[in-house]
Amino acid sequence: MRTIRYLLICVLAALATSVHADLVLVANPQSGIERLTQDEVINIYLGRYRRLASGVVAEPLDHPADAETRARFYRRLVNKSTAEINAYWARLVFSGKTRPPLVVENVDSALKRVAAQPGALAYLERSQVDGRVRIVFEFGD
Amino acid sequence: MIGKFIASLMLAGFVAGTAQADADTIESQLSLRGFGTIGLARSSSEHAEFVRDLSQPVGIKGGQWSGRIDSILGLQANWQATREIELVGQVVSRLHYDRSHNPEVMWAFAKWEPDPRLALRAGRIGADFMMLADSRLVGYSYLPVRPPVDYFGPLFFSHFDGVDISATSQLGNGLLRAKLFTGSTHQKSAGALGVWDTSGSPVKGIVLDFASGAWQFRMNAAQIKFAADMNLSVISVPLQNAANFGVAGAGLAADSLRTKGTVTRFLSFGVVFDQGPLQFQGMLNRIKNESSLYKDSYAGYMLAGYRVGSFTPFIGISRWLTQPQEHLPVVANPVLNFHYLNTIDGSHVDRSTLTIGTRWDINTNTALKFQWDVIRTSANTEFSLRNVDSAWNGKTDVLSVTLDFVF
Repeated sequence: MRTIRYLLICVLAALATSVHADLVLVANPQSGIERLTQDEVINIYLGRYRRLASGVVAEPLDHPADAETRARFYRRLVNKSTAEINAYWARLVFSGKTRPPLVVENVDSALKRVAAQPGALAYLERSQVDGRVRIVFEFGD
Repeated sequence: MIGKFIASLMLAGFVAGTAQADADTIESQLSLRGFGTIGLARSSSEHAEFVRDLSQPVGIKGGQWSGRIDSILGLQANWQATREIELVGQVVSRLHYDRSHNPEVMWAFAKWEPDPRLALRAGRIGADFMMLADSRLVGYSYLPVRPPVDYFGPLFFSHFDGVDISATSQLGNGLLRAKLFTGSTHQKSAGALGVWDTSGSPVKGIVLDFASGAWQFRMNAAQIKFAADMNLSVISVPLQNAANFGVAGAGLAADSLRTKGTVTRFLSFGVVFDQGPLQFQGMLNRIKNESSLYKDSYAGYMLAGYRVGSFTPFIGISRWLTQPQEHLPVVANPVLNFHYLNTIDGSHVDRSTLTIGTRWDINTNTALKFQWDVIRTSANTEFSLRNVDSAWNGKTDVLSVTLDFVF
């Protein structure tokens, strides 16, 4: 019985951890959008098409290159490593086609930017979301 | 030569690395970036030199390791002048038609993007004659050591001076992008017939691109109208003289070798599947020449890779095949006719390549690549190679090791 209780506690703890480590994408409440599909997020973050359905120009924000969150975001979004994402951007940037997302220094900067600009989008942990922004995309399990 | 080149690479890397400190901050409007390849390759045959593309005057042969064909350094500055206007300049050092590594201005354009659906660029811009052709010098951006030579080799145009306009719209679950471009070239190539200056030749074309999920499809159609002839005096002068003396067919033969005023048309189709660790791409192209100096050709390749940890092994095949010309004039003088046909046969290509290799991402901006190319041609294929001697048997194996980086 003690073993079962112990296992149950471990499972609940693991579930709680996964919930807190859950990445979400947030937008400005004035962006005119309620939700984004994964394809739309891919198009925005990979520079293919940066226009929201509301007509607002999307301005995706990235975390610093060595941030664990950034690696996890792209792994979840397109199952690509940081090196593969960098190679992708090397092709677009050095052929003069488009720019990668702007880099913010930390989560506070991201939240400020999203709160101030209708088109700004940022990914962060669900636990870091506050009332200034709206969750528009979350990864399914 | 290579020592100097590597020294300049290191110096440029230091300078750009210093600039990088300001490059990624959110408010910076000026960014400096760079890319480069330090490459070594060896080709087993003693009898023909392997080149990366037709702009290279010399290649590698005889089993000697050389950094000549693949080593490249590029620096790029982007200035976001306003939210809608960006200025981009890129300089590249690589092996040129004149054997120098002098910096070459690849791009220098202004981009106006009033809306994510519309972009206009004017200045010196990348030649999008074929899919991925405008980023083929950035080794870090693709899997193999170099873009398939059988496909991209004849395409020595990297840029042109002009404008392009692209429009993007959603179509079903995908994105459709159309681009029109027009301008004139500024480039030279080197070959058995000497340097060919194509400067001032007008180009124009269209690119249609459809991307949906992991799939991307592209169609390119482009054409160039050459502004100058090649230096063919060794055959054209005797033909013209013969024509003046009334030798039948000589005048027509001389005219058929002219490139000035003739049009070459490019048509290509490409498909890319890129999902998670799996990458696949395949492309086909058709090149048609009005001048008889160059034979029409087909080319294609397939390349697949699968990432396992930090390694991405890949395998590819490619093919380049020209077609014999029809309705050629016959010169009544047999000796002249022989030399005329010999000149035309100089553009014959029947060549295929099997490529096996792996990319190893050492870190997030540096990759080491190892590659083995098994190249097989007909014995009379000289056009895609350099300094071919009579003992060439159509077989060579190329081993390559490159270090690709971005900063």
